[in-house]
Amino acid sequence: MQIWLNYLVQVLIYSSFAVSLNMLLGYAGQVSVAHAAFGAIGGYTMGYTATVHGWPFLAGAILGAALALIAGVVVALPAMRLTVEYLTLLTIAVAFVILGVISTFSELGGTFGLIGIPKASIFGIEMDRPGDWLIPCAVMLGLVMVVCHRMGESAYGRVLKGIREDVLSVQAMGKNVVVFKLTVFGLTSALAGLSGAFYAGWLRLATPGVYGFPFALTIFAMVILGGMANIWGSIFGATVVVLLEPLLRDTVRLDASTASIVQLIVYGSLLAALMLLRPQGAIPEGSRLLRRLGILVAGEGSLRKRLRTGPCGERRETPVNEDWAPDFANREPTEARFAGPRRERWDHAHAVLEARGITKHFGGVVAAENLDIELRAGTITALVGPNGAGKTTVFNLLTGFVPPDRGSVRLNGRELVGLSPHRIARMGLVRSFQDVRLIARITCLQNVMMAVQGQDGESLLKLYLGGRGPSRCEARTRERAMQWLEFVGMAGFADVPAGALSYGQSKLVSLARLLATEAPVLLLDEPASGIDTRWVETTLQMVEAVRDQGRTVCIVEHNLQVVGRLADHAYFMDLGRIVAQGAIDELTASAELARTYFGT
Amino acid sequence: MHLAAVNLETFLQLTANGVFRGAAYGILGVGLALILGVTGRFHFAYGSFYTLAAYLAYTFEDRGLFPPLIEATLPFWIAALAGVVVVVVLGCLVERTLYQPLARLAGATELLAVFVAALGIAIALENLIRLLWGSSSQPYFGPSREAWSIGSVTFLNFDVYSAITYAVLTLALAALLRYTPLGRMVRATRSNPGLASTVGIDSKRVYVLAFAIGTFLAGTAAVWTGLQFAVEPGMATRPVIFAFVVAFLAGTSSSPIRVFLTGIGVALVEQWSSMWLSVRWTQTAVFVILVVYLSWLSFRRSGVYVKLQMPGLRRQKI
Repeated sequence: MQIWLNYLVQVLIYSSFAVSLNMLLGYAGQVSVAHAAFGAIGGYTMGYTATVHGWPFLAGAILGAALALIAGVVVALPAMRLTVEYLTLLTIAVAFVILGVISTFSELGGTFGLIGIPKASIFGIEMDRPGDWLIPCAVMLGLVMVVCHRMGESAYGRVLKGIREDVLSVQAMGKNVVVFKLTVFGLTSALAGLSGAFYAGWLRLATPGVYGFPFALTIFAMVILGGMANIWGSIFGATVVVLLEPLLRDTVRLDASTASIVQLIVYGSLLAALMLLRPQGAIPEGSRLLRRLGILVAGEGSLRKRLRTGPCGERRETPVNEDWAPDFANREPTEARFAGPRRERWDHAHAVLEARGITKHFGGVVAAENLDIELRAGTITALVGPNGAGKTTVFNLLTGFVPPDRGSVRLNGRELVGLSPHRIARMGLVRSFQDVRLIARITCLQNVMMAVQGQDGESLLKLYLGGRGPSRCEARTRERAMQWLEFVGMAGFADVPAGALSYGQSKLVSLARLLATEAPVLLLDEPASGIDTRWVETTLQMVEAVRDQGRTVCIVEHNLQVVGRLADHAYFMDLGRIVAQGAIDELTASAELARTYFGT
Repeated sequence: MHLAAVNLETFLQLTANGVFRGAAYGILGVGLALILGVTGRFHFAYGSFYTLAAYLAYTFEDRGLFPPLIEATLPFWIAALAGVVVVVVLGCLVERTLYQPLARLAGATELLAVFVAALGIAIALENLIRLLWGSSSQPYFGPSREAWSIGSVTFLNFDVYSAITYAVLTLALAALLRYTPLGRMVRATRSNPGLASTVGIDSKRVYVLAFAIGTFLAGTAAVWTGLQFAVEPGMATRPVIFAFVVAFLAGTSSSPIRVFLTGIGVALVEQWSSMWLSVRWTQTAVFVILVVYLSWLSFRRSGVYVKLQMPGLRRQKI
């Protein structure tokens, strides 16, 4: 009995390591092999303070978690800009450095580690036998689960999933990726430190071997066995890994010397076989089981109910129909408002965005040379020109994704050059991407929700201390996002993962996402390209509707009919320069331009 | 820490040690980089195949082709070759029958699923070796072992032979990749497997080829290392961690020559650092330098433009 209690405690401790790593790996997509080493920081801190200074267990554990948090943030700083390969390498190196440094100090027991840590007592209760740890460890795991669940299933977790798949796209929606990465690294490291302290307290020792590379890999295996981006999977993974050993020992009876070896052979083979059976882990992301568990655990149930009913509570039909197109029949035909009024609109509007003399060279290639561009309030401006003219580069330069070599960009008089993309997006200048860049593994609704500005749930402080504020805000965000999806006619696809959409549909959702930022200036990169005629019409009507709301729009477009219909003003670009500008009919009338670009 | 007087003799000896050890890191890095770069698989079982090659070569020479039944032994060179060939076949089998189906099934989580499966294989193989041969190290003898010296610098004849073997193999691989149609197929698959398959390259077979070459290089290194030291179950642990470091540091799609030189560079850093640091610090020192280098790399890329050019792992599905 005692031995099974022991295994149970081990399951609890391993689970809390796995759950916290899943936060980092599954949600934020940050591969870290240093998780065990952060555990070592917690374990050694607890062991040292208890052995040498006679600190109580919890004080040492909390200090250990705090030190691990600091270490996590320090590692996150260089980890920020590294690709998966380099991040893996960095965390391997960090793990070896931490363990190497620890095992060099004779105060920490050198390579032997701290052995014989005094028996812990928690709130006056002595942990006499290993089984006594059951309740403290269960409480700790509960804490880790609550912290991770709150983090993962919120606006914060949504941004993490965005970062996992497409950092640029998340920045373009005004999210400060740096803050998210620092906090998720720091907090999960702190949780690892806490788990490590309990591990050391239970074992009554902290050695480099306990937290070594094999343990780091074991934690990794538990997360992946269980499935990414969900808490229950990780607990399942930890249970499987821990209980395999005793189960094998009881079923495969061998003499003591070979038993452990045979167990490991079977364990290794099972690991490979389990991956073949459940390649996405026991509970794959977005599985039905997960949703059901989600209902059991937290407000996810009410969340999903609200998805099916509209903001006003009516039951929403969710037809999944590829041929659906929004109904714009009651709008007056745009042909009626051609030519004249548009010219006037441009002339009378005031400039919102002014770019002066922006220049960018990539090596010898001139991407942009001394460009002056002006976007005026409530109008649609078009950038036209042949492939490679530098149109998309202009978007990158305006929105801070590519810093210009020279020049200034002013939005309502405020200088944008030198600001990071998320700051510029927050100031009200947002862009879409030619290649759409929706976050594939979350739903359309979640994609649009991510774009809503000023969400309480994106701040960890408010998440943990803000009471019901963040969940109320989440409900409002959901309603707004739903309205934008309705606006583009994609409400029926709210629950569909963005990766499952057709190209045209994903363009519409990306338009909804852009609109949901409620930014006054929108840059649309080829909104109508690559989609069939009916979708083109839909999109164009949408852009006009946005313009009629008084927002400022700039489009990059090849299709002259589109430009002719939408643009109040057009810039013609070639080889990184603006060759001509004016109303589109003036441009097409110019014989020279017609020859070089329009080929007529 | 102790500040030993740094004299020229020590320096030269450490440099020689670094070059010889680095050649071994280098060749393992070359093999792993080829596998990682072409297939994108975190082939963590690389080290187990390395160990197995040494054990098989040793067994064929010393104990018999199939010890309980066939006791006939092979001469050293043929045994070594046979050991390496068996491991190459096994490496290809793992890719073909485990990794490829798993990668197809796992979809977006391919990278991590393969990693865990490889981890399982590594654990199973290492313990299979312990079960069959025991956990203690086995002495492995081949050609006669001689100590050579140039001036005050001493080394083994095996050090020189192995370093030359590794250098020749690296150059041969570089030439194969660069000048042959086969090499072009490998490079095409490495840079864009989807595009490569549209021009008729069977990427699955190229993957198997990458595993064959990578495992062959590891096996060769294992035979030499076994001769220099001994054959033991844990002999892969350290070299393979260094192989990962070298492969990532040089870049998994770099030329083999660059990877090889990176291996020597890492070993030189490791050796030279022992002039100023006590032995217990040297391994940590290598990783400290690695962390500093990576941090520098990260902060140097301050321009947002560079971020635009940095994709996730190439194979990541969008």
